[in-house]
Amino acid sequence: MLEVAEVRSGYGRLEILQGVSLSVAPGAIVGVIGPNGAGKSTLLKTIFGYLAPFSGGITLDGESLVGLRPDQVLRRGAGFVAQAGGLFAEMTVHDNLLLGGYGLPSRREAAAAVDAAYERFPRLRERRRQQAGSLSGGEQRALALARALVMRPRLLLLDEPSAALAPRFIDEVYEAIRALNRSGLALLIVEQNVEMILGVAHRVFVLDLGQNAFDGEPAELRGTDRIRRLYLGESRRDIQVE
Amino acid sequence: MESLVEFLIQGVVLGGLYALFAVGLTLIFGVLNVINVAHGEFFAVGGYVLFAAVVLLHVPAPLGVAGAGVGAFLLGLAVYPLLIAPLNRRLGRRPAGSLYLVLTLGLSTFMQSSLLAIGGGDYRQVPPLVRGILEIGPTGVSYQRVLVLGVATLLLGALFAFLRWHRQGLAVRAVSQNPEAAQAMGIHLARIFSLTLALGVGLAGVGGALMAPLFNVYPAVGFPLTIKAFAITILGGMGNLAGALLASLMIGVAESLVVIVVPSQWQNGVAFLVMIAVLLFRPQGLLGRRAAR
Repeated sequence: MLEVAEVRSGYGRLEILQGVSLSVAPGAIVGVIGPNGAGKSTLLKTIFGYLAPFSGGITLDGESLVGLRPDQVLRRGAGFVAQAGGLFAEMTVHDNLLLGGYGLPSRREAAAAVDAAYERFPRLRERRRQQAGSLSGGEQRALALARALVMRPRLLLLDEPSAALAPRFIDEVYEAIRALNRSGLALLIVEQNVEMILGVAHRVFVLDLGQNAFDGEPAELRGTDRIRRLYLGESRRDIQVE
Repeated sequence: MESLVEFLIQGVVLGGLYALFAVGLTLIFGVLNVINVAHGEFFAVGGYVLFAAVVLLHVPAPLGVAGAGVGAFLLGLAVYPLLIAPLNRRLGRRPAGSLYLVLTLGLSTFMQSSLLAIGGGDYRQVPPLVRGILEIGPTGVSYQRVLVLGVATLLLGALFAFLRWHRQGLAVRAVSQNPEAAQAMGIHLARIFSLTLALGVGLAGVGGALMAPLFNVYPAVGFPLTIKAFAITILGGMGNLAGALLASLMIGVAESLVVIVVPSQWQNGVAFLVMIAVLLFRPQGLLGRRAAR
């Protein structure tokens, strides 16, 4: 459904992505890993329209996303969850969810979609009047996911969903990701937590210095010493790939 | 005692006008990070529209006031796409606030020159929209001032309700908190920026119309108010609407009461004395949050 072909992108004149290609099949979970500075977040921001690619193609179900703004990409069926959730911390849980449905054509549709989000994440209903910034880390990620689902995307782009979370919350977030995928949602996940992403992804891409360094199934990556060394680095043995 | 009550009432009325002006300025700063130096010129536009409507065209006063608000709103709609967006595009990012300051200073001067060219340099007088005195115990206040306070209260109430409950109001608040995340909600930033600017200067336009019968109308009538509104914005907490409202009332009342104890020449300096004190002792303002390190 998503095809990224030879994309070059970056900030100002600084080219971070140097011809990256990847694809996401319908209903698949695709992980993107790599060392800091590899261009993982830049890739998501380019796909979602925050950054305009210098060259290359990005299509969603055959329709080009190049040159579109984030709100236009969203209306074409791709949602985005920023690192740390990108919540409106001073607004209530309910207002955050209502904003998730900003692009829906009517209030009634938005209300129904918000209700559906509460069904999926019942704890958020209990917290609906609470400020988003006062939720626990795990609840904040749940809210960010729930909010992104209000627009019923076909593809969800997640930027480091486990970042800065305690281990028990990471498990909760990944359980939610599995559940979403079982319902047919495709996910493209940029992640530093290698173990978690290899546990859920159907396909993994490794980026290094803005270029593709690996493309294959998680099992292949686990057996590839060269790749492990390439993106983990000799001095970063603290992150283990079994 | 009588004069104290009278001055207090005058202060609340003045505070209401300041609020109409400063809340708009604060809204614009909170959402766009733009300190709109041209805010006072939209106030002046409001005054001129009312003058043209009531004195020249003999249109009913309520329509004139509404026209002033709508006129300023429509002019405000053009500011983002014609001035701010091209600057952002040219730089490839949102620039530092100082560039916006210079940009809107240019707009302020241009608008003053335009008003001078169109309306002339004379002081224009507008008759009171309502006549008579409302007697409150031993003292009284003109219905014109009561009107200013009433309309300011209504409009500010409507603005707060809009921001709290309306879909576009939620979007305005979302953009002020996290523009990037707001885009991920499907919010078109440029539209919200334009709407916010138009709302902010629209309030100034109504303020200009309501005050026209109390002060004369001339091209630079709003500029001193802009400078005072900066002080109010800092006192309330940069970008904090409730803070701006509170600070407006405080400054209005303080300015009104201060003449009881010191010569009236000091009156205009009060706001700035308070501003300096706030900057020295509580730089985040009354309701603002301390900036994160």
